[in-house]
Amino acid sequence: MKNLVLLLMLFTANLIAQENYTVSGIIKEASNGETAFGASVFFEGTNIGAMSNEYGFFSITAPKGNYNLIVSYVGFTDLKKEIVLDKNQKIDFEIIESSTQLDEVIITAKDSERVNLRKPQMSVSKLNIKTVKQIPVVLGEVDVIKSIQLLPGVTNNGEASSGFNVRGGAVDQNLVLLDEAIIYNTSHLLGFFSVFNADAIKDVKLYKGGIPARFGGRVSSVLDVRQKDGNSKDFKLTGGIGAISSRLAAEGPLFNDRGSFLVAGRGSYAHLFMKLAEEDDSAKFYDLNLKTNYKINDNNKLYLSGYFGRDTFNFDGAFKSSYGNLSGNLRWNHIFNDRLFSNLSLIYSKYDYDLTLDAFEFDWVSSINNYNVKYDVNYYASDSFKFDFGTNAIYYDFDPGAIDPTTDTSPINPLQLDKKKAFETGLYVNAEHKITDNLTAQYGLRLSGFTRLGGQALANYENDLPVAYNEALGIYEAGNEIGETDYESGDEIKSFSNLEPRVSLAYQLNESSSVKAGYSRTAQYIHLLSNTQSVTPLDVWTPSGKFIKPQLSDQFAVGYFKNFKDKTYSLEAEVYYKTVDNRIDYIDGSNLIGQNNIETEILNGETRGYGLEVLFRKSKGDLTGWLGYTYSKSEQRTLGGKAGGPGINNGNWYKSAHDRTHDVSLTLNYQLNDSWKFGSNLVFQTGRPVTYPNGEYNYEGVSIASYSDRNADRLPAYHRLDLSATYTPKSSATKRWKSEWVFGIYNVYNQKNAAAISFGQNRETGANEATRTSIFGIIPSVTYNFKF
Amino acid sequence: MKTYITFSLFLFSILFTSCTDVIDVDVSTAIPRLVIEASIDWEKGTQGNNQFIKLSTSNAYYDNNTVTDVTNALVKITNNTTGEVFNFEDQDNGLYTINTFNPILHNFYTLEVQYEGETYLANEQLIPVVDISAIYQSTEDGFDDEALEVYIDFTDPAGVDNYYFIKIQAEDNLLPVMFDITDEFTDGNLMSLYYEREEDSDINQEEFKAGDVVAISFHGVSETYSNYIQLLIEQYESVGDPFTSTPVVLRGNCTNPTHPENFAYGYFRLTEVVKSTYTFE
Repeated sequence: MKNLVLLLMLFTANLIAQENYTVSGIIKEASNGETAFGASVFFEGTNIGAMSNEYGFFSITAPKGNYNLIVSYVGFTDLKKEIVLDKNQKIDFEIIESSTQLDEVIITAKDSERVNLRKPQMSVSKLNIKTVKQIPVVLGEVDVIKSIQLLPGVTNNGEASSGFNVRGGAVDQNLVLLDEAIIYNTSHLLGFFSVFNADAIKDVKLYKGGIPARFGGRVSSVLDVRQKDGNSKDFKLTGGIGAISSRLAAEGPLFNDRGSFLVAGRGSYAHLFMKLAEEDDSAKFYDLNLKTNYKINDNNKLYLSGYFGRDTFNFDGAFKSSYGNLSGNLRWNHIFNDRLFSNLSLIYSKYDYDLTLDAFEFDWVSSINNYNVKYDVNYYASDSFKFDFGTNAIYYDFDPGAIDPTTDTSPINPLQLDKKKAFETGLYVNAEHKITDNLTAQYGLRLSGFTRLGGQALANYENDLPVAYNEALGIYEAGNEIGETDYESGDEIKSFSNLEPRVSLAYQLNESSSVKAGYSRTAQYIHLLSNTQSVTPLDVWTPSGKFIKPQLSDQFAVGYFKNFKDKTYSLEAEVYYKTVDNRIDYIDGSNLIGQNNIETEILNGETRGYGLEVLFRKSKGDLTGWLGYTYSKSEQRTLGGKAGGPGINNGNWYKSAHDRTHDVSLTLNYQLNDSWKFGSNLVFQTGRPVTYPNGEYNYEGVSIASYSDRNADRLPAYHRLDLSATYTPKSSATKRWKSEWVFGIYNVYNQKNAAAISFGQNRETGANEATRTSIFGIIPSVTYNFKF
Repeated sequence: MKTYITFSLFLFSILFTSCTDVIDVDVSTAIPRLVIEASIDWEKGTQGNNQFIKLSTSNAYYDNNTVTDVTNALVKITNNTTGEVFNFEDQDNGLYTINTFNPILHNFYTLEVQYEGETYLANEQLIPVVDISAIYQSTEDGFDDEALEVYIDFTDPAGVDNYYFIKIQAEDNLLPVMFDITDEFTDGNLMSLYYEREEDSDINQEEFKAGDVVAISFHGVSETYSNYIQLLIEQYESVGDPFTSTPVVLRGNCTNPTHPENFAYGYFRLTEVVKSTYTFE
């Protein structure tokens, strides 16, 4: 590690030798004033260039001279400007869209979606929201999470499961950020829809590996979702009426054109899928997105963004449940000078779950809260050297659950599980360094720390074993509690720190192809406890501490990237190998709900996985789309360790629940004419690993299944085809009102994909049988969208 | 508690369960294993002298109606405190019986089964149970305000951990329903358990009506048995529920000290039990 730091210093030392000047500024879209993330800015005829950052800021430095500066963001007309570079200068650009229809057709994909050969960053997928909106989806509800699952290396457990899995990782190993705020549950209605309202989202970036040093805290991936800033030119209304929900978004300028705002709301109808048709029952969700910004002066800008989303279920007389995320972020962009950009963020986010069981007369509440301060700096040192550094600190407050009786006659006693507190820190540097014309490196280092804070008591166990192997019975059991230790508020229960190096290299072979390689180490300090087949909204997060160690991941990846035919086609192929240490695994029969001493139910295990991912994309012409293929393996093993015994599943490696051997998706969009466009998805993947019975026996007069090793079997392969057609009525250029109709058919050939197969005894005949639960058959839908 | 909360998730899932159907799925078949159903249940107010133990083997999953009785085994129970030995007599039909068993509350007993050269051992304590204070009916609770439920009330003894196992067999049902209860969240309280039968045309089942008879057995069980039966019930009842835990191998307390991997399925339990029937009015 010392060597790396030394290397960094060496590079920074010989930075400014020539007489160089800098052009910097902000790139915006002319029509609505949205800042452009990932636009490329370069001097014609040279390979001196830069990409705009998340806030549209760019800075390029070159030797004194006369240049043509080109701003390019495909889907937009190239902008060219003559520059006499004899002094530092600040120029803002407004780029004009090539087409101005509603949801304008992506004849060419956004440049940022195309393969960037030079940038060492690999294992990253960026989707512009306009691309996302073209993908056919269930019931016409545009869905970011469902869209990323069409990319190689991303899967989930089927229609009724929350979240997504990246490269064989678990749902809780994804860092999901909405305007930098951590989102703990990405799903509405148990996974049918995602919490991201497409009308409020600008773009989505998914890091499957090679996670840049500025991100930390999860070992599998980062999903970076950014909200729109709001139209700073005109007041606009956007909305839609669909089969599931209705949406309305308003945006416009504020403060005499010094700022803008966006407010977007979405609500589902109250009786979704109601088969139980009781009058007072309901299942619904809604969410609200807010964003506003204010430009103090050329060098200072403030942003405020917020999200509030909620699911509510109500079964009259039986139970009520409600859960959701809440987040807010106040940001201050400050430009120190033409090469130094900074951003300070104050972020709050929360997830809570509330359940009232009238039938059993009690109420259950759990939550996780965090406060996050983040400071990031971009330093555009020279044309060959860009430097990012920053720090962040997160304070967590976990409430794993409280039970309150709801009536005087309730048989339930009140109970508060121990609240947990923790503090996470991060400090990073990252350099993007053009070593030669063909070789670019990105190297960074993150120093992460985590402290579990006191303010609670922790149990002590006989022989220091919270879980012990019962040799006689051959099972793992809770250890014997022998008193407890009280930790005062402010005491430190346990601290961890990790150095996380992240390195990647890109070597450009020729004009149209390159190879890249990367290594990254990441640490994860908080964990979602879930031993069910799918993650559920009531699963509880828990911090590392005395009994739970942080997860540590090492990932290696190598890739080949090629553009064909003037960037009409691109090919990306990557192989990866990754390991995770200290992955929590659950002992047989573990009981997690209402469990104060989680450590008595778990053991620390490990996971490993490898895979090949291929993405072939066509991004120009009437027909666009991609074909993705993944071959992968993901396994886990948990040895008994100190607890004794062979471990879980006899200490053998077994398939993780997210293991998919093959995963194929074909996504196509076809633009017939100005009025009609068509889309399709074809998805095929190997079935999810599950545990089937391997026998039965009679006990208590019923037939009890005996089960084989964990995840030794698989569900049948999952496949389906979706189609969509979008009709845009002709409207005159002067008319403000624009609209479109989206017709969709999900699961066209009505494949009954198994979300689960369970085994049991028919209660009438007594015969054992297998029952398949399948969620969506063929579903047609119509959505009407408008813009005013 | 867990049962209640996960049950609510199960209800969510019903919402979306646009479709469940029975399909053919091939499963593997493991080598048969001995099953020891040694349930020494002492009914309150009786001598508890008549007891039986059932031995069988496990079978291919879909062959659950095939008889797999185990005969020619040697079965005995020893009272660890008094040293008294109870030899069970082979009835040649998988049942081993005795009519001189002597149950003593809180005493530990050891079961020994010898079969085909293997010896299986289990240890367990005889656990008492409180009386049922009332059995009655109502329509008030449950998920349907018009359907009848049967209620079983009892008062949990305060200050000690208590574990219960309840089995309800409706006369017109083929199979019983089973519940495991702990006082983890209800210590010392009056507990009221109810059972409402849902109408389900798929299996020809109706709501309870006047004249229906249910048989109830209410057992006090040990903590280890409670852990076992909880998992057993959860895995047995999980049909169609995608939110259950991943199923696991169920291991009871019947071990094979010489060949630990040849453990037996089933359990050696000793419980005190209250039995009762209720006829709906």
